[in-house]
Amino acid sequence: MERPVLQPLRRLTASVNLTSIRSQSTTRRTKKALKIAPHPSFLDNGTDDHIVFNPPSSAPSVYHTPFKFLPKTDPRRQANLTQLLRASAPASSPSAPEVGGTPSFVAPKHNVTAEQIEEMRALRSSDPATWSVLALAKKFQCSNYFVLMCCRANPQHRQSEKERLEAIKARWGPIRTKAREDRQKRKVMLGRGEL
Amino acid sequence: MRRTRLASQLLAGAPRAARVSRISSSTTPALCTRGYASAVSGREPLSLDVEDEDALSPKELMRRSTSLPSPPPARAKYSAKLAALHARLSLSPKIPVETLARALIDPSADAHPRFNNANLACIGAALLNNHASEFLITKYPRLPMTILFTAMKGYVGNPVLHQIARAWGVEATASPGEEVDPGLLQFDINKPTAMHTSWGYVRAESAEIQRYKWRRGMSSRVMYDDAFGDLVPGQSSVSDKTGALEMRNDKNSKEMLVKDMPTNAHANFVRAVVGAVYLHCGREAAKNFIKPHFLSRTLDLASLFEFKIPTRELARLCAREDFELPVARLESETGRLSRTPVFVVGIYSGRDKLGEGTGPDLDSARKIAAMNALKAWYLYSPGVVAVPSDTLAEDAAPWKPAYVDIGEVIS
Repeated sequence: MERPVLQPLRRLTASVNLTSIRSQSTTRRTKKALKIAPHPSFLDNGTDDHIVFNPPSSAPSVYHTPFKFLPKTDPRRQANLTQLLRASAPASSPSAPEVGGTPSFVAPKHNVTAEQIEEMRALRSSDPATWSVLALAKKFQCSNYFVLMCCRANPQHRQSEKERLEAIKARWGPIRTKAREDRQKRKVMLGRGEL
Repeated sequence: MRRTRLASQLLAGAPRAARVSRISSSTTPALCTRGYASAVSGREPLSLDVEDEDALSPKELMRRSTSLPSPPPARAKYSAKLAALHARLSLSPKIPVETLARALIDPSADAHPRFNNANLACIGAALLNNHASEFLITKYPRLPMTILFTAMKGYVGNPVLHQIARAWGVEATASPGEEVDPGLLQFDINKPTAMHTSWGYVRAESAEIQRYKWRRGMSSRVMYDDAFGDLVPGQSSVSDKTGALEMRNDKNSKEMLVKDMPTNAHANFVRAVVGAVYLHCGREAAKNFIKPHFLSRTLDLASLFEFKIPTRELARLCAREDFELPVARLESETGRLSRTPVFVVGIYSGRDKLGEGTGPDLDSARKIAAMNALKAWYLYSPGVVAVPSDTLAEDAAPWKPAYVDIGEVIS
């Protein structure tokens, strides 16, 4: 009676927990759901002359300087007593979840000596495959960026790394290549505030 | 010595008969000759007229000797266009229409410095740049230098002044000459014009910077370059002196020529009008002319910014200013599992909110929020404050130092 093609679909629907959701497909229900009471300031509250204040929700303007960014000399700092009192109060527990983790601004330690830099260079030139940038950074307890500033691998190693990367890129199809290009474009556009 | 050579070079463009008659009958005083000389001194004289007089046919010579390169100043009184322009700009009756007619003559139309607008435009450019920069620095004391230079271009740059000239209702002639209406802007698109109004320090290595694109840092632009951070073109070459003769002067002179003739001519007309207001009515009148016409225009500074790693820059800013490290918090979200989610992320430093941003994913929302916080820092404005030129007026209050930030955040 049933076509065998639909068999998997039937199995899938059977596994989903079916709960009855009341739909708003009728005209009456849709109209009732969309009927929203007007904002109170639009209602006539007995007086003939009144101001309607119902601004649309919008993103805050960047021309509105936050209280913390006002310089010490600005008169707005002294005028805003609420903010002044609030700033002096102890910080309460965070209300909203954090996004992207706690930012880490670590000041450079300057712990690597000149001899260690020479040693780092020697290790890197002797065996760049074993002594990668990450391995050197871990050994000398400095940042990857510092290792890159100090030493440079020999041309053969750089050439082999480049060839490895090219081989990886050659395996990409047109869709992945374009997706990667688009990602770069989106990154630049985000920085310009165009997205 | 340089000045006399320069003058003869400029005169070479005009036909000989016309030149003699003009010098004998000229009543217009030579304005700002010293400023003009300094504007072009330090460079080798350019050939403003590419044609050689001896190479012309006798008929052409005859035609040229009888006609002037631009309309004579005496005809300015009878031009309806000039009177209308004078009235439209509400210029003071102290400014004669002859000066307005002179402001409309570009050096490419008439090379004679007593009849073109080069001198007036030089004064006007100095005034416009001065007022725009003091307005921007006192109004937005934390702008980074790149944004400040771009904003200067946005207020008094060439394309903007072109738009202003068009809005003032100034039209250009098809071809300049004695017979055209003096109320039309006269410039010759076919004649190469040297930059007359670029006034300033010429770097010794300017030729190499143009040819080989040498690096030119932002702090050196503040010191050595013009009000827009652009190089003042020069012809002196460092490598010429060391023996390398590849930097030929004729190649460099090509780069000193004006790129976009119509835009440049319109902009120089506007500058010349400002210069005319200053000369005939004084400093205060020029300031009152510049404020409504140029500084009252709207420029969205927030759209000029571009960030690479905004979160790091904000962290550096907070470290510099002894604020708590910025923390991004998710304030609200909708449709996380849908195709078009929206996340609202706020950036907090301690208990204070620094910025807010919305994005289709958590990471870009955080970046947008950090960018908004940085823009809020850079675009701080103390409101309406006094500018340094206010103290030049009589019975002015003594100058109170304005707040200017220590500089941009380096991340």
